[in-house]
Amino acid sequence: MFRSSSFRLATFYALAFAFAVAVLGAVTLTTTRAALARQFDARIAAESASLAREYQAEGMIGVIQAVRERDATPGALDFGLQAHGGVSLAGRLAATGAPKGWSVLNESEGREAPERTRILTTDLPGGYRLLVGDDLGRLEAVDSVLFQRFALAFAALVLLGAAGGYGLARGVHRRIASITGTAEAIIDGDLSRRVPTRGADDDLDRLAVSFNRMLDRIGALMENLRQVSNDIAHELRTPLTRLRSRLEAGVTGTGVAEREEVLEAGLADLDAILGAFAALLRISQIEAGARRAAFRSIDLTGLARTVVEAFAPSAEDAGGSLALENEAPLVLDGDPELLTQMLVNMVENALRHAGAGAAVVVRCRRIEGAAALSVIDNGPGVPESERARLFDRFHRLEASRSTPGSGLGLALVAAVARLHGGEASLHDAGPGLEARVTLPRLAS
Amino acid sequence: MKLLLVEDDPETAAFLKRALGEAGHTVDHAATGHDGLLLAAGEPYDVIVLDRMLPQIDGLAILRTIRASKVKTPVLVLTAMGGIDDRVEGLEAGGDDYLVKPFAFAELLARVNALARRPPPQDTPTRLSVADLEMDLLKRSVTRGGERIELQPREFQLLEYLLRHAGRVVTRTMMLESVWDFHFDPKTNIVETHMSRLRAKLQRGTSAELIHTVRGAGYCLREP
Repeated sequence: MFRSSSFRLATFYALAFAFAVAVLGAVTLTTTRAALARQFDARIAAESASLAREYQAEGMIGVIQAVRERDATPGALDFGLQAHGGVSLAGRLAATGAPKGWSVLNESEGREAPERTRILTTDLPGGYRLLVGDDLGRLEAVDSVLFQRFALAFAALVLLGAAGGYGLARGVHRRIASITGTAEAIIDGDLSRRVPTRGADDDLDRLAVSFNRMLDRIGALMENLRQVSNDIAHELRTPLTRLRSRLEAGVTGTGVAEREEVLEAGLADLDAILGAFAALLRISQIEAGARRAAFRSIDLTGLARTVVEAFAPSAEDAGGSLALENEAPLVLDGDPELLTQMLVNMVENALRHAGAGAAVVVRCRRIEGAAALSVIDNGPGVPESERARLFDRFHRLEASRSTPGSGLGLALVAAVARLHGGEASLHDAGPGLEARVTLPRLAS
Repeated sequence: MKLLLVEDDPETAAFLKRALGEAGHTVDHAATGHDGLLLAAGEPYDVIVLDRMLPQIDGLAILRTIRASKVKTPVLVLTAMGGIDDRVEGLEAGGDDYLVKPFAFAELLARVNALARRPPPQDTPTRLSVADLEMDLLKRSVTRGGERIELQPREFQLLEYLLRHAGRVVTRTMMLESVWDFHFDPKTNIVETHMSRLRAKLQRGTSAELIHTVRGAGYCLREP
C-alpha cells in the first residue's frame, strides 16, 4: 500500500500543501510582527509628543503632574523626566545616559526576569530630558501567542491532510488491487473472473468495464480456438482413419490397377480433408473478426446474379433449376469475397439436399432496414428442432450423413453473417427450406 | 523455359525440380532467400517460383527487393498461409500469381506455364484465334469457320481466357479465379458444366474438338 502510486501521490500533495501553508504562515507572522512593532513605537512616540506639548503649555510642573498621573494609571507606559546631569524629576525610568532617540534598556538588577524596555529619549527645552518607554515583553508575548496558534493550526492541517490523503490512497489502492487480483486470478487459470464495478461511471469504473470487455473478447477467441482444435482432433479423425485403411489396403493389395485405384481414391480423400481444413481455418479467421477492414460498398443482387449464373447450368444438368427472383440493386457494406462464398455455400447446400430436380430460388430484398438474402428450395425441408443446430460446425442431419460434404458449409454461412453484424436462420418454405441471411449494413 | 525455384524445404524442392524438369523446364534451385535474391537479380529467368516462408528473409521481402531492382520476371508465390488477406498481400508485393500449399503439381505447372511471357505482341490484340475459331474482342463476336456463334457473357469470358492461354493447360481453379472471381473451391464442378456447354456451342457438324480435357489437370484449347 505504501508503495502504491496513489499513496505516493497523496503524500506528495500533503507535503506540497504543508509547505505552501508554512510559507503563508511565515509571511503572515512577519507582517503581523512588523505591524505590531510599528504600533508599539507609534504609541510611545505619541505619548512623547503629548508630554512635549504639555511642557510647552504648562511648563515643567505640568509635565511632572502629567507623568505622575500616568504612572498611577495601570497599563500605562513608563516615563522618566530628568534634569540636567541625569537627576530624575519624575517617573520610573531612570536610565541615565540613554542616547537621544530610540534605544533599548536592559534592566536585570533585582528582578526575576530581565525586563527589556524600548525607550524614546527626547530633549525638552531648558536642558530637560524626557524618556518614554514600554516593556518589550508585551510585544513578545503577543508574538509568541500568535506563533503558538499558528503552529497548532499547522499541525492540525498536516494531520488532516495526511489522514485525507491516506484515506484517498487507500480507496484507490483497494480498487486497483481488485483489478490486479482479477488479473492474477486469470493468470492462475480462473478465466471466468471479472473485475467488480461500482456503477459509479468514474475513470476506474470505466477502466474496469473496458478490462472486462477485453477479457470477454479474449475468452470468446480462446473458446473459438478451443473449438477449432477440438473439431480438428475429433471430426478430421474419421476421414483420416478412412484414408489410412485405404492406404493400408493398397500396400497389401496385389494388382497394379488396384493400387492405382487406391492411390487415386486416397488423393481424393486427402483433398477432402484439406478442404475441410481450409474451411475450418477460414471460419475461425472470419470469427476472429479480422476481416472488417476489407469491407466496401457492394451490390448484393449483382453478387447473387454472378453466383446464380455460375451454378444454374449445373442445377439444370441435374434436372433442377436455379433462378434469381429479383433484379433491383441492393447495396451494402461488406466483404464481397466472403459474401460470395457464403451465397455459394447456401446455393450448394440447397441444390444438394433438396434432392434431384430441386427448384431453387435466390431472393434479395429489404426487410426492416436490413438486406435479406434467401435461398429457397422445394426439398423435404428440415424439422424445426434440427434447424438451429445445422449452423454448428460439423453438424449434419442423419439423413445426409451419406452424401458428400464436410458439415462446414452452413457454419461458414453463419460466421460470415455474424461478421457483417447479421444473422443466419432457417425457415419453413412449405414445402422446402428457406435459408435466410440478414445483413443490416445497408449503404445509405 | 528457365525457372528459378526458391524453396527451403529440401524434399519439396527436389520433387518440384524433378517434376518441372520432366515437364521440359530447366530449373535453378536456391535454398535460401539470399541465394534466391542473387540468382534472381543476376540471371534472366522466364518465371520465378518463390516460397513465401523462408528462413532468415521473408519471401515477400525478397519479392519487393527484386521488384525494386527493376526485375520484371513473373513471380509465382507459394505459401502455406491460406488467409484471405495473405493473397492480396502477396500480389501487392509484386507477385503475379499465388498458390497455397499443399497443391497439386499439375496446378503449379499450369500456372508456371501461364505466367511465362510469350513473344511480345505487336499491339494489344483485338482478335484472338485458334484454327478456324475466331474471336473479335471489339465486336464481342465469335465465329467458327466463318459461322457466327452466340455466347452468354460468361461463356465469352471463359473462351477469351482459353484463347489467351491457347496451347497451354488451364486448371479449374485458374478459371474460377479469373472468370468468376471465386477465390475458393466450390463443391460443385461448375467449370465442367460451363465447359461442356461451351464445347457444345463451338461444335459445328463434324468439326474437330478444340477444347481438350487434360486428365488430372484441366483444359487446353489448341488446334486438333
